[in-house]
Amino acid sequence: MKLYCLGIEGTAHSFGAGVVTSDGEVLSNEWDMLKPVQGGIHPREASRHHSELGPRIIKNAVEKAGINFEEVDIIAFSRGPGLGPCLRTTATIARTLSLKLEVPLIDVNHCVAHIEIGCLESSFKDPVTVYVSGGNTQVIAFAGGRFRTFGETLDIAIGNMLDVLGRELGMDFPGGPIIEKEAKKGNEYHNLPYSVKGMDLSYSGMLTAAKRLLSEGVAIPDICYSVQETSFGMLAEISERALAHTKKNELLLTGGVARNDRLTEILSGVAERHEVIFHRVSPSLAGDQGAMIAWNGILLYKAGHQVEVENSHVLPKWRTDDQDILWR
Amino acid sequence: MLKQLLFKGAESVIYRTERWGLPLVLKWRQGKSYLLKDIDTQLRKSRTNRECKMLTIARTLGVPTPAVYSVDLDKYVILMDFIEGTQFKQLAGQVSQFHLISLSREFGRLIAHLHEGNVVHGDPTTSNVIVDEKSHLWIVDFGLSEMNATTEMKGVDLHLIHRALETTHWNLQEDMLDAMLEGYVAIMKDSAEPILSRMKEIRERGRYH
Repeated sequence: MKLYCLGIEGTAHSFGAGVVTSDGEVLSNEWDMLKPVQGGIHPREASRHHSELGPRIIKNAVEKAGINFEEVDIIAFSRGPGLGPCLRTTATIARTLSLKLEVPLIDVNHCVAHIEIGCLESSFKDPVTVYVSGGNTQVIAFAGGRFRTFGETLDIAIGNMLDVLGRELGMDFPGGPIIEKEAKKGNEYHNLPYSVKGMDLSYSGMLTAAKRLLSEGVAIPDICYSVQETSFGMLAEISERALAHTKKNELLLTGGVARNDRLTEILSGVAERHEVIFHRVSPSLAGDQGAMIAWNGILLYKAGHQVEVENSHVLPKWRTDDQDILWR
Repeated sequence: MLKQLLFKGAESVIYRTERWGLPLVLKWRQGKSYLLKDIDTQLRKSRTNRECKMLTIARTLGVPTPAVYSVDLDKYVILMDFIEGTQFKQLAGQVSQFHLISLSREFGRLIAHLHEGNVVHGDPTTSNVIVDEKSHLWIVDFGLSEMNATTEMKGVDLHLIHRALETTHWNLQEDMLDAMLEGYVAIMKDSAEPILSRMKEIRERGRYH
């Protein structure tokens, strides 16, 4: 029997809902991102955004999937990691739906969901995953029953670094895509701190140095170009270290920053050098969205897992490697 | 010069070769067309240079490393001793618990000798430790090594070991970590404490916030 899972995502500034079947068909994937008028993301404002727009987004997702609420078999939600207020709003919506529709509730790890939706799309079995977004920068691979973080940022995530830099350069949020566009016009490289420590890396020094370039009058396209080349070069290196170390033969790029074409080009070069297959998750499944939560919900449900409402408190610091991967 | 490909690493290609009747390793930092040329050239040059220097400095601190015979900074090539042995990474799962603990303790001692001399290795995974037939440990791959190391840099070094143990030796990690830290503290004595607490702090830092 085909199962329909409604997945609800709301770990940070985006709220999403998607319906995926047990056959792996993505029937709908609706979302909305909070764009702050100025400054960064405030957790309370983001959670208000989720509670105001959430119900409509969920309704749209169910309608676009061509089903009605009675046909939903499973409710899955992003339990963590993420911003506390956002997670709590999302979890409350999910619990309510599960009780009302009398269907199982499934708790999903946001980072693991990014990897699994990428595997669904690419048919990869066992990749090294480069997961890059506003809140995360990790190189992850499966080993010994868990997704283990082989490398990650020691300070800020790459997406965060790009967005903060964008703000300094007078760009709208999110700055990443605008930086990508500007970088195409740049051609003069300026030295920036290249900070790789084993399979970990650090971006805070680069942010400071890029701001200094701005104050020295370096043209914005050249700053963007230099920042992209350096920060993506560092990601290439830790990916290579993970590939050489794990000897896996698939490389998966996912997360919101996976939408960047230059990063994709660099990592496909890495894959070629190491003779592994490369896949960049398509834009609609790369960022934070509900379909990935729904698909991971299916995998967990099939493995016999669900969570009781009273035990479903959110986990803001839930580590990728803290979850037993029952379905692999 | 005849050479045989041993290993394609993240940033170099390792060949085995022979000269003066000695087995040697040729480490070549190959160009990467997908990186910006300026960055690629700068990295290859600085890491080749750094590795030669740090292999020698580490040895003066009492840490066994391969001797360097020659370096070509224009071709980004280093010629050094070939260490006959097995990577600690591969050996860890094959030896007795007693032996594993003694090897891990020695690993911690060697890292402490570096840190005492204010040197960090920069990539202290079990892939970069070679165990010879007499069970002596050799440390290799000093491309990310640094001098004038601060407490922060030493803390990162220990954090990287912790990370390597939990990802690569998940079923042995407790024994290995305890023994490694025991060896580390035995050498560093009181100066170990601030570095150990920095290691824990660093571990928390990268996590989602």
